[in-house]
Amino acid sequence: MSFSSTLLKVGNLTCRNANKIPAMVNILKSNLHTTKIILQSQSPAVTKNPVTAPTVKKENPEQKMSLTQVGQYVSQCLPKYVQLAQITDSNELEILIHPEGIIPVLTFLRENHRTQFHSFVNVTAMDVPARQYRFELSYNLLSLTYNNRIRVKTYTDELSPVDSITGLFEGANWFEREVWDLYGVFFSNHPDLRRILTDYGFSGHPFRKDFPLTGFVEVRYDDEVKRVVTEPLELTQEYRKFDLGSPWEIFPAHRAIESSQTGTTATPENQQKK
Amino acid sequence: MASKVLKESTRLAGLAVSKNPHHSLTVLYEKLLKTLDKMPENAVYRQQTKQLVEDRFKLVKSIQDPQELEKKINCGQIEEVIKQAEYELILSRKMLEWKPWEPLISQAPKDQWKWPMA
Repeated sequence: MSFSSTLLKVGNLTCRNANKIPAMVNILKSNLHTTKIILQSQSPAVTKNPVTAPTVKKENPEQKMSLTQVGQYVSQCLPKYVQLAQITDSNELEILIHPEGIIPVLTFLRENHRTQFHSFVNVTAMDVPARQYRFELSYNLLSLTYNNRIRVKTYTDELSPVDSITGLFEGANWFEREVWDLYGVFFSNHPDLRRILTDYGFSGHPFRKDFPLTGFVEVRYDDEVKRVVTEPLELTQEYRKFDLGSPWEIFPAHRAIESSQTGTTATPENQQKK
Repeated sequence: MASKVLKESTRLAGLAVSKNPHHSLTVLYEKLLKTLDKMPENAVYRQQTKQLVEDRFKLVKSIQDPQELEKKINCGQIEEVIKQAEYELILSRKMLEWKPWEPLISQAPKDQWKWPMA
């Protein structure tokens, strides 16, 4: 090879490697603009200012409790309300409490030195009609001090109201309105418990399992009254009973056996009627 | 007094620099310990909180420099520590009304926490 001992210059880059040169020439010729970019990134102006300050708070291993310890601590401190503390399959801490303990447990989690769950994430619900208390409420909290997350779960039904936590976490206001709107769980002492997601004049709670997929009403524009009217739902299709059996003879052999077993269908009287 | 205030800001929105952190911490911890003493002795909340508060109180009494105190307590700036004590004081007073150390109100109904149901 003619380059084996020569010094090759491509752009600003010099290389002195006997064996790899032919391959490198090809790469450099095809990507001259990229080599320039690489060289720019190696310039001292860029490398002089590395970001060293961490963007997250340093963890404090002496004070931070593991999730299991937090669960034990909470259930020992509040034995009156905590029914069960568990770690889920996905390693999340869940505290299952009696519905009377919502305010005490959440206040404790927020204001105690060792928990400090000051950040409220959300409230949501789940409808399981088979249970005695069909609604399951779950509150998610985050502790910025210890970088821990916790979920508090409780239960209620359509009639028993639940204490609102808007006095503790302002952010819960709209979440509780959402739960009220979609599930019909009533929050007592809520400052402004209105529907939040459904349409004006809507009735019913759409996330309940007994709420039909189609809803109860439909809206359409009426040309005579010149406005959108709401009417009771009218399905365009009548209720039908579908005969799912095939009209074709799939197993003729079986059919012959069935008719011979019943016997009555093939009597001469029936044949005469036909 | 002026020599004690070393920093201009806590760099946390809404949290002002404390002018005399030792004084406010001493007042808060004394009130807190008084409230905790009204609780029954076998309450875990009382035992745990008392231990933590006494540890911190000891540090507050022994160390005069606020910055060194911050490092020893190791739970944020001294203003945050004051805030934590304020929260705990409010909580402990509410705890006296709630009495959460009593036995469980009632167990959950059968299958309440069972999932999936079928």
